[in-house]
Amino acid sequence: MIVEGNHFFPGPREVVWALLLDPAVLAKTMPGTASIARVGDDRYEGTMAMGIGPITAAMFDVVITMTDRAEPEHYTMQIEGRGKFGFTRGKAAVTLASEGAGTSMHYQADLVVGGKIAAVGQRLLDSVSKLMLRQGLDAMTRELEHRLAGGAA
Amino acid sequence: MILGSYMGRRVLRLEDAKLLTGRALFVDDVELPGMLHVAFLRSDDAHGLLRSIDATAARERPGVHAVYTAADLGDYWQPGPLLVPPPPVPGLIFNAATQVPLVRDRIRHCGEPLAMVVAESRYIAEDALEDIVVDVEPLPAVADLEAALLPDAPLVHEQFGTNLAAQVHQCKGDYASARTAAALLVARRFLYDRGASAAIENRGVVASWDARAGELTVWDTTQAPIPIRNGLASMLGLGESQVRVIAPFIGGGFGPKIMMFYPEEVLLPWAAMRLGRALKWIEDRRENFYATTQERGQIHDAELAVSRDGRILGVRDSFLHDTGAYDPYGLTVPINSQCTLLGPYVVPHYDSEFKAVFTNRPIVTPVRGAGRQHGVFVMERLLDLAARELGIDRVEIRRRNYIQPDAFPYDHEILFQDFRPLVYDSGNYPAALEKAALMIGYEDFVREEQPRLRREGRHVGIGVVSYIEGTGIGPYEGARVTVEPSGMVRVATGVGTQGQGHFTTFAQLVAEQLGVEVTSVQVTTGDTRDFSWGTGTFASRGAVVAGSACHAAALKVRAKVLALAAPLLGVPEGALELGNGRVSVRGFPERSLGLGELARKANPLRGAVTPGTEPGLEATAYFGPDRGNAASGVHAMRVEVDPDTAEVKITRYVVVHDCGTVINPMVVEAQVQGGVAHGIGNAFYERLVFDDNGQLMNASFMDYLLPTALDVPTVELAHIETPSPLNPLGAKGVGEAGAIPTGAAFAQAVEDALSGTGVEITEIPLSPSRLYELIARARGGAG
Amino acid sequence: MKPPLFEYHRPGTLNDALALLGAHPGAKPLAGGQSLIPAMNFRLAAPDALIDLNALPELSGIEETTDGGLRIGAMTRHSAVELSAAVARRAPLLAEAMPFIAHRQIRNRGTIGGSLAHADPAAELPAVMVALEARLTLASIRGGRVIPAAEFFTGLFATALAEGELITAIEIPPPPPRTGTAFLELARRHGDYALVGVTVTVRLDHARVADSRIVLFSVGEGPVRATHAERTLAGTAGDEAALRAAADAVQGDVDPSSDIHASSAYRRQLASVLTRRALTTAMARAADSAR
Repeated sequence: MIVEGNHFFPGPREVVWALLLDPAVLAKTMPGTASIARVGDDRYEGTMAMGIGPITAAMFDVVITMTDRAEPEHYTMQIEGRGKFGFTRGKAAVTLASEGAGTSMHYQADLVVGGKIAAVGQRLLDSVSKLMLRQGLDAMTRELEHRLAGGAA
Repeated sequence: MILGSYMGRRVLRLEDAKLLTGRALFVDDVELPGMLHVAFLRSDDAHGLLRSIDATAARERPGVHAVYTAADLGDYWQPGPLLVPPPPVPGLIFNAATQVPLVRDRIRHCGEPLAMVVAESRYIAEDALEDIVVDVEPLPAVADLEAALLPDAPLVHEQFGTNLAAQVHQCKGDYASARTAAALLVARRFLYDRGASAAIENRGVVASWDARAGELTVWDTTQAPIPIRNGLASMLGLGESQVRVIAPFIGGGFGPKIMMFYPEEVLLPWAAMRLGRALKWIEDRRENFYATTQERGQIHDAELAVSRDGRILGVRDSFLHDTGAYDPYGLTVPINSQCTLLGPYVVPHYDSEFKAVFTNRPIVTPVRGAGRQHGVFVMERLLDLAARELGIDRVEIRRRNYIQPDAFPYDHEILFQDFRPLVYDSGNYPAALEKAALMIGYEDFVREEQPRLRREGRHVGIGVVSYIEGTGIGPYEGARVTVEPSGMVRVATGVGTQGQGHFTTFAQLVAEQLGVEVTSVQVTTGDTRDFSWGTGTFASRGAVVAGSACHAAALKVRAKVLALAAPLLGVPEGALELGNGRVSVRGFPERSLGLGELARKANPLRGAVTPGTEPGLEATAYFGPDRGNAASGVHAMRVEVDPDTAEVKITRYVVVHDCGTVINPMVVEAQVQGGVAHGIGNAFYERLVFDDNGQLMNASFMDYLLPTALDVPTVELAHIETPSPLNPLGAKGVGEAGAIPTGAAFAQAVEDALSGTGVEITEIPLSPSRLYELIARARGGAG
Repeated sequence: MKPPLFEYHRPGTLNDALALLGAHPGAKPLAGGQSLIPAMNFRLAAPDALIDLNALPELSGIEETTDGGLRIGAMTRHSAVELSAAVARRAPLLAEAMPFIAHRQIRNRGTIGGSLAHADPAAELPAVMVALEARLTLASIRGGRVIPAAEFFTGLFATALAEGELITAIEIPPPPPRTGTAFLELARRHGDYALVGVTVTVRLDHARVADSRIVLFSVGEGPVRATHAERTLAGTAGDEAALRAAADAVQGDVDPSSDIHASSAYRRQLASVLTRRALTTAMARAADSAR
């Protein structure tokens, strides 16, 4: 499954970069995240609850490994998630470019989805992943606005 | 048509009353005291190393009696047997790799079993599956057939150093010379995919060990109860007579149930013996998509060398066949593709090579048609394309290339799946073609109807295709016929029945010879206690091979009846006749004996018998044909395509079929209708969609689309009968026929409906979305 | 495919049902169960408890209201709506859509409220209710409220239902005069999830289109109002050229996904083709009703 797109953040690139890599912010903004912690220089581990509509949220163990870090411009991550409903695995690349007072983000991810959810939920995979991404980016934008307005972390 | 008192008659099926009133026993109806239920943990990954598996929590769950992993099986863990060795083709390469009962180190396809849970109920067993902790290191999956053969491809079986499962080259004549002499060469890449058999009943096993009697009883949805019995006895260290396998009423087989020694089949009996409890496992539909075998795709690069007047000079074909993660069933499917491509045509030069490729997907074994579809598609499409380029009518080009009715036996000189040379026994292909063309109204359609409707903006098309189906192969089957003192006749045979009507057709064959009412003949199939020699129901051979055995056994009993009755009635044997359940003196019906009475007399309790006689009226006979025979047919269909939505409607479907002597026309019609439904599914609805990582994306009937009654037209059927000289009945098989040429007919008809748009169809299955893409591409727009 | 353990409750009154839902945050109401039970059997849905609504007769029934519209209880079975003469008279668009909902057996158990609460993006009824400007009555232990259908569907399987809240009834206003409606859906097989579906109402003012509601489904996260298409159509004579232009304008309203059954390009094609065909039918019916 390829997920690709752009998002505009109303804030400077350095701030956006810091938020994207902050485990506490990720925990707040990634939909369903129960916990996420930085366990190494480039490694995050956590659990997320994933569910939509009739599907009861089930816990997924998530491991994200950062590779190719070029602050504040670009990073790639290896994503691995596994739970009762199946698993996902893949690579995502994120590029940040300054655009006026804000930041334009380009993301591209190539994910394998397997297990039960892939076998019986194909109809939804595309929409659900787009939705989760949108929810996450919207939440991240709100967090950015909150910080810029002087709000506490 | 050959007509006797029962031969050729539309006898209503004897088994239907029981089936329709819910009194038939299926495996899931078996309830035994203290029976426990089994569920399997199956791999989510298509390829990976099983680092560890921890069932501690599962074992502690209340209601769970046992959890087994590969380590728990000890010496019992072994890969299954190679069921079908490759045929003795010179230069053949074959790498045998068979399935394992539970994964020990390496996962090779989604759904491979990792652990077996035994619990009070299936509910608790499934709860316990979630307790098992599995650590898998994923490996890149082998998915694309061409990429799989590249030097740096990941390997499904490291020990071979390659993903090549087999390489087989068969040829006759010299294709290079045909190529040089050709007026036209038609070369294309063809893609043909199949799908799951999707029988209405999934698989199931019930196993029960009686320690006092030393007897293992297994109910199994198998098409091969006797080989399963023999194999289980050997694996479990039991005598064959200590094991009874019962294949009761089964809701459809279609091939995957002849795959043998599935993990569940070998594990349930073993566990039942260890636990001392009866065990039941019933496959659910989602499991069926991974755990039961299926057929999938081939990629053919084929070329036809043809003369200016459309005569085939030669065919060259090179294809890749997806065999899945293991190849226990050998090369039956691709050999069938290779042989069936030749069809009913004279092909002087043929060069065919295939490579079977291991992939990280479930095992491929025969599904109704067993690879014939692929071969038929290639040949029929090549002829259609040649016809178009040469300006010859599609029906005419076939007519010009047929093997003629006086050319039998016809030797194609290559080896078939039964390891025998491919020799056709009998047939009349031109007659079938004429009849089908007439029935579908081909001439009028092409000349008048189609152009008229096209002027109205309607896109209608017609497809007419021809095929051969090799059926009735050996090695053998047997039957025992017994007249009981009550007058009832019992027939036992080793094949199983999955809906083919054996309880009726075999009864017809026996009733015909013994002169009894067909309703007084009771047939048992699929119980190793009743008959224990045989190979199973597959390859459209039940009626031919087991039927011939029933016929032969009935003839023996008939001979005993005459020999016994003659002295009792005081006349020579030649003066006797059988009818109405009695043997009587011809012309003197009052001088007769009932068969039951005769059976009683043949089994005295006291006194002396003539030395050398056998008691009762019973005989066993076996039949093994010299080789398989060649059934054939022509399918014709009419379609209408909506150019805006790319929907396709099949408006008429004609089948002219030759299965030699017809025992029960109603059964034949039903087999053809069912086969056509299967074929329509294959052409336009069914497709197992795997992604590049071996993940199946449609493991449910929401997304794996089976055609419904609304999508399948009623077949208009006509028979041609060219009896087979290879068996006493003159019969040929018919079980798979309906499913074989449908894809080819569909492609021709849809292409015809879209003629002028530039759409060329070289793949099956299609769908409206895919067809829309092809139309858009042909128009030059972005798809 | 066996579901995991759950508690089961079968309340005898609506208040009991609402109290149970209020008390059990992990509970799900059980209406027809035609979506919920398969999800539970797949172990994708695992509610702690099911609150069975099938013993609440006050939630069923089809009533002709004094304003010329309809009031349908949320637990009314699809098959009852399908066979209702009142629905055929007062909401022909709804009557036309009903046979497309799954299969007869499913319609015998499935309920109109259940379908709306489930809000499947491929479902027929959400689009129909938006097209008909229906109003949904909701109830919880905190009280009741009424919400227009257009505000009820908030996203992918998402509705305005709050925690512990149920739909109790659906009100459909009377059809305006000089209105024609049409429903079209394309599925692979009879009863399948729609590849694309369109519901259309067109109101005429003399010979011109006064306004229309064009609502598509299976093209996004829920029912999609094709506002570009509606604007293109408004004020035109609704002739073939105008309908074609409106159908083309639908491309600006939809963003369908690809899945294994249909590419997004094919869905886009169907969106325009079905919109044109539905508008043609609706225009003819509107002209008839204006006579």
